Amino acid sequence: MTLEWLHPGLLLIVGAWVLPLLKGNVKRAAMLVLPAAALIDCFVMRPGTYGVTSFLGQQVVFGRVDRLSLVFSYVFSIMAFIGMLYALHVKDDSQHVAALTYVGSALGVTFAGDFLSLYVFWELMAISSSLLVLLRRETSAVAAGFRYLLVHIFGGLLLLAGIVLHWSQTGSLAFGDMGAYSGGPAWALILAAFLLNAAVPPLGAWLPDAYPEATVTGAVFMTAFTTKSAVYVLLRGFAGTELLVWLGAVMAVYGVVYAVLENDARRLLAYHIVSQVGYMVCGVGIGSALAANGATAHAFAHILYKALLFMGAGAVLQTTGLRKLSEMGGLYKTMPITLGLYMVGAFAISAVPLFSGFVSKSMVVAAAGEDHRAAIFLMLTLASSGTFLHTGLKLPYYMFFGKDRGISGKEPPGNMLVAMGLAAAACILIGVFPGLLYERLPNPVDFVPYTLQHVTSTLGMLAFTAWGFFLLLKHLDPVPTISLDTDWFYRRGASALGTLVRGPLARLEYGFVGEIYEFVVRRPVLGAANFFRDLDSYVVDSAIVGVGRSTQSLSQVLRTVVSGNAQHYGLIMAAGILVLLAAAIFVK
Amino acid sequence: MTARDAKTRSSGGHRPPLQLRIKRLFYAGLALVALAEIVLPLIFRSSESHFSFEDFPAWGSIYGFASCVAIIVVSKVIGKFWLMRREDYYDS
Repeated sequence: MTLEWLHPGLLLIVGAWVLPLLKGNVKRAAMLVLPAAALIDCFVMRPGTYGVTSFLGQQVVFGRVDRLSLVFSYVFSIMAFIGMLYALHVKDDSQHVAALTYVGSALGVTFAGDFLSLYVFWELMAISSSLLVLLRRETSAVAAGFRYLLVHIFGGLLLLAGIVLHWSQTGSLAFGDMGAYSGGPAWALILAAFLLNAAVPPLGAWLPDAYPEATVTGAVFMTAFTTKSAVYVLLRGFAGTELLVWLGAVMAVYGVVYAVLENDARRLLAYHIVSQVGYMVCGVGIGSALAANGATAHAFAHILYKALLFMGAGAVLQTTGLRKLSEMGGLYKTMPITLGLYMVGAFAISAVPLFSGFVSKSMVVAAAGEDHRAAIFLMLTLASSGTFLHTGLKLPYYMFFGKDRGISGKEPPGNMLVAMGLAAAACILIGVFPGLLYERLPNPVDFVPYTLQHVTSTLGMLAFTAWGFFLLLKHLDPVPTISLDTDWFYRRGASALGTLVRGPLARLEYGFVGEIYEFVVRRPVLGAANFFRDLDSYVVDSAIVGVGRSTQSLSQVLRTVVSGNAQHYGLIMAAGILVLLAAAIFVK
Repeated sequence: MTARDAKTRSSGGHRPPLQLRIKRLFYAGLALVALAEIVLPLIFRSSESHFSFEDFPAWGSIYGFASCVAIIVVSKVIGKFWLMRREDYYDS
C-alpha cells in the first residue's frame, strides 16, 4: 500500500486495538477521533485504484474507489461516528473493539476490487458482528449469537465455494459485474452468499433472531453494516438480475407481515430492516440508472433512520429494562426527548415528505413504475403503508402512549441523546435538501421527489393508513408470543432430525445395516484376510527364508573361491584358458 | 377511534373534551388530505403517473387504507393459524 492512500477500514481495525490501552477522557476522545478520521479519509479520497498487491500470483485490490464505493463509505463512516458516540458511556472495551473492527471490515468490503480481499473482510465482518451479540452475555444472547455466527459461517462457505469455482473457470479473481456468468454454479453460490447477508427470505431469519439479542449499542451498529454491505456487493455484481426484483418485493411485504405479529420492540424494527432492504434488493434487480441510484440512496437514508429507531428502542430498553411492547406504555411523560427523536426516524422510514425516506424510497418505486411493473409497484406501495403502520403508529403508540403502566422511565445519558439528535438531523437534512445526497449517487440524477402528485398521494396514503390503524386498534394489541420463521429449520427442525437419527435411524443402522455389514462385508473380509495372512506366513515367508538360506550357503562356497590372492586368480584364468583350448581342439 | 381506545386514553389522564378535539381534528385532516388529492391534480393538471390506476381520484388514500386493513387482517389470520407460538416454544 502506498502512502498516498490510507485504507479507512485499516485505520479503524488497527485503531480499535489502541482503545484498551487508553483511559478516561483520552479513550472517549479516541473513540470519536477514529471514526471521524475514517470519515475525513473517505471524503478526501479521489476515484482511482489503490492498494494493489499480489498474492498467489493474483492481483489483490484493496482500494477500488469510485462513485459507488465512495457513497457507501461516506454513510458507513458517518454511522460509525454516530454509533461510537451512542456507545461512549459503555465500559466494555471488547464491545468497542468489536464494533470498530466490524465497521472497518465493512469498509474493507466496500473498497475491495477482488474476491480474495472481499472474502477476508466478509468473514471478519461476520466474526466481529457476532461478538456484538455474544457480549450481551445473557443466555438467550449467547445462544442467538452462536446461531448468528453459524449461519454466517455457512454463508461464508457458500461465498468461498463460489469464488473458488469462479477462479477455476475464469482464472481471475477480479470482482465486477457477474452478468456474463449468469446461471452458472459459481454465479449462484456467490449470489446466495450475498442474499444471505442481505437477509433475503428464506435465508434471512438470522436477522430478526440475532439483532434484538445484541447489546443496546451493538444492535445500532448491526442494523447498518451487514445488510447494506450486501446491497453494495449486489449492486456491484448482480444489477439487473430479474430474480432480485421479485425477491425484493416479496421481502418488503414479508417484513411488514411479521411486524404485525411481533411483540419485542427491537425485533419489530428488525423485521422492518428486512422490509426496507427489500426495496434496495428490488432496485438492484430492476437495474436501471434510476433504480441503482434509488437502491444506493435508500441504503444511505435507511442506515441513518434505522439506527435512530434502534437507538430509541435501545434507550427505552436501557432505562426501563423492558423489551416487550405488551409490558410498555405511557413513557411519553418521562422520555419526551427520546419520543421526539424516535418519531423523526419513524417519519423518515415511513417516507413522510421532508424526511429522508421520502426522497430515497420513491426513487425505487418510481423505477418500478418507469419499468412498467405494476405488481411490483403495488407491492412496494403496500409495504410503505405497513411501514408507517408499525414503525410510525403501532410501536410508538404502545411504547410511549397506550396503557399507562406507571413505568419509571428516564431520558438516557446525554451522549445517547446527542447521537440520536445527529441521526435525526441527518434524516431531516436529506429530506429537505435531497440534492446533498443525489449529487453523490453513482449515476447522474434526473429525479424530482417533490411533485404535487407524489406529495398529495403520499400524504393520503399515510393519513388513511393511520385511520385504518385506529379503526383496528383493538386487534393490534401486542400479545406475548413469538412467530415461526425459517430459523425453525435449524432451531426445531434440526432437533426433530436429531430424534429421527437417534431413534429409528439408529435402530435401522444397528439392526439391519449393521447385520448386513456383519455378514456381507465384515466376516468375508476377515476370512479372506486370515487366509492371506496364513498364505503369507507359511508359503511366502518360507519361500523367502529358503531363498535366503540357499543364497547364504552359495555365498559361503563362493567365499572360498574369492580369496583375494592374485596368484589364485591367475591360476584359475590359466586353467580356464587351458580348458577352452582343449575344448576347441577336441570337440572338433 | 374505538371505544377501547377511548378508555385507554382517558385512563392516561386526558380530559374527554381534549380527546374529542383530537378526534375531530384527525377526521378533518383526513378529509382535507383526501380532498387535496382529488382536487389539486385537477387544478394544476399535472400528472406523472406511470399507471392508469394512479389517476383514480384519491388513489393514495384508498390504496393506503386498503393496504393497512389487508396487512392487519392477513397477518393476523396467518399468525393465528400458523406462525404464532408460545414464547418458550424454542426453550422446551
